[in-house]
Amino acid sequence: MAESMNSYERLELAWNLKEADRVPVAPVNCYIFPWLGGINMREMFLEPDKLIDATIKARELLGGGDNVDPNITTLNHLGMFGRAGWDQATLDWRIWDDFPPKGNLPSLYEKQMITDYDDVMKRGFAPILYSKNVSNQLFKRSIDDFLYYEYEYPKIYAAAWKEYVEKYEVPLLMGGRACHPLDMLQYYRGISTLTRDVFERPDKVIEISEWWIEYETTLAMRDAMIMGAGEVPGSEIIFFINGGPPGMSPRIFDKIFWPIAKKMIDVFVKRGFKVHCHWDNDLTPHLDTMSHMADGLPKGKIMLDLEKTDMKKAKEKLGDKVAIFGNVPSSILVYGTPNEVDKYCKKLIEDCAPGGGYVLSTECETPWDSKPENVKAICDAAKKYGQYRR
Amino acid sequence: MGKIADAMAALDKDKLLAEVKAEIEVHRDPLEIVEEARKGLEYVGSEFEKGKYFLMELMWASQIFKDAMELIGPEIKKKHGISEAKGRILMGTVKGDIHDLGKSIVRDLLTAAGYEVVDLGVDVAPEAFVEKITSFQPQVLGLSALLTAAVSQASVTVEDLKKAGLRDKLKVIMGGGVVGEIKVSEFGVDFATTNANEGIRVMEKWIAEAKG
Repeated sequence: MAESMNSYERLELAWNLKEADRVPVAPVNCYIFPWLGGINMREMFLEPDKLIDATIKARELLGGGDNVDPNITTLNHLGMFGRAGWDQATLDWRIWDDFPPKGNLPSLYEKQMITDYDDVMKRGFAPILYSKNVSNQLFKRSIDDFLYYEYEYPKIYAAAWKEYVEKYEVPLLMGGRACHPLDMLQYYRGISTLTRDVFERPDKVIEISEWWIEYETTLAMRDAMIMGAGEVPGSEIIFFINGGPPGMSPRIFDKIFWPIAKKMIDVFVKRGFKVHCHWDNDLTPHLDTMSHMADGLPKGKIMLDLEKTDMKKAKEKLGDKVAIFGNVPSSILVYGTPNEVDKYCKKLIEDCAPGGGYVLSTECETPWDSKPENVKAICDAAKKYGQYRR
Repeated sequence: MGKIADAMAALDKDKLLAEVKAEIEVHRDPLEIVEEARKGLEYVGSEFEKGKYFLMELMWASQIFKDAMELIGPEIKKKHGISEAKGRILMGTVKGDIHDLGKSIVRDLLTAAGYEVVDLGVDVAPEAFVEKITSFQPQVLGLSALLTAAVSQASVTVEDLKKAGLRDKLKVIMGGGVVGEIKVSEFGVDFATTNANEGIRVMEKWIAEAKG
């Protein structure tokens, strides 16, 4: 049956906390596309036409969805400075010709690359990025290679996605991505060392996090501009990631995490972007603090994408302020059945969809080894249970 | 609880170390000092399970306990030699997964609680578990998995244990962020949890039962 709105219109209404024709559905399909589309990681990273072909094939198999993830990680990995080292630290170059990856994607190494916060604030990240502690493989890349992927390749990549969006009328999930400094620090310091820092010298953690805001926000907005912000639907969205550290107490959340997060959200929105807060872990204890997320900002600029947080409580506390996005568990997608996914989605829609402002999606991202019929069941459930107007 | 346990329970590192030093200076039995610190650590664990303390606080507690043990450990050796462990536990992150954090938290807390723990690290092949079980003879095997793709490796490991005739000789527990929704029976393990302290309680119970 033909639908009365296109995906962008539907998502726009959700951002603005209004009901569309039905609940938008947008599983965060990233690495599952190349997997189902039959390309390896090298092709995914270096040949956008192949990635887009794989995306088209995989979307047919998975039942579509109201947006598409252009995998901005690709640009971050290949660029001269990476994403402040995170990608260089976590991407294992050996996996390029493999799919499925042999356990290294996207995983967390407990490394300690930053040993002196003051030195980083004084000299920047370059000395760290070009350290053999980060990646021996990094030194196999020539300066020409870095320059090409920093300045030329992003334009080619953006043009390929622009063509896709125009042809298929599916907006992008994001145009740029940024990480919360604490998320970055867990990679640079290791979670154990970061924990020690948080308890022993919280002021220093706050100081470097403050220093990081402009660096991280500027890179994200630059990528979004290259991807066509203001012109290509969805590329005006900054995907603002917080993957950790896990298990912050309210005291730590309120003192260290939240003020930095709020400043970054404000920077993005005040400079004309929308923010998709992709925040992992169970943040239920922090919902009262997070209810100030949109304070001082115009409506319709924030989407809150939650992993393990109680969605019903999130809707109750924040549903009249920001849009909510999530959170079918990864384990059900991999080990469950379409029927189990269907039931889970039905409950999410009942809890979160009334009044609008909700997008049905996965927790974190769809695992590449999810059963395709389970991912398709998410899209089916939005159409089955999520109709606002009949 | 006593000043050491109170400092531990309050996660006050400076006070904890000061109290430990003071007790060592007055020649209190170092085993008593350790037991008091453990009581404080147990309190942190129980508060964590109640939702009053959070994971970062649990990690910090195990870190400052280790700091305290650096002061107490040499005193124990001087006075009592090597003390016997409460039990033996083998751990590792399953093949295909390199996540380290959750496993390391549990390892540190178990070590603090007085168990002998061998940690095989990450991306551990089933045959490596089998080999170490044969030589180390643990009462419990702890398998960690965070990636959904790696969870099924737990059942491969358990199958290898069966083939080697080792499965009935120990209990198997699985931990990790994605194991909360799985059916334990499908993976051949005895228990699965996302909660570090719950896992520790279960392992302690198993070992106590095995000792009769």
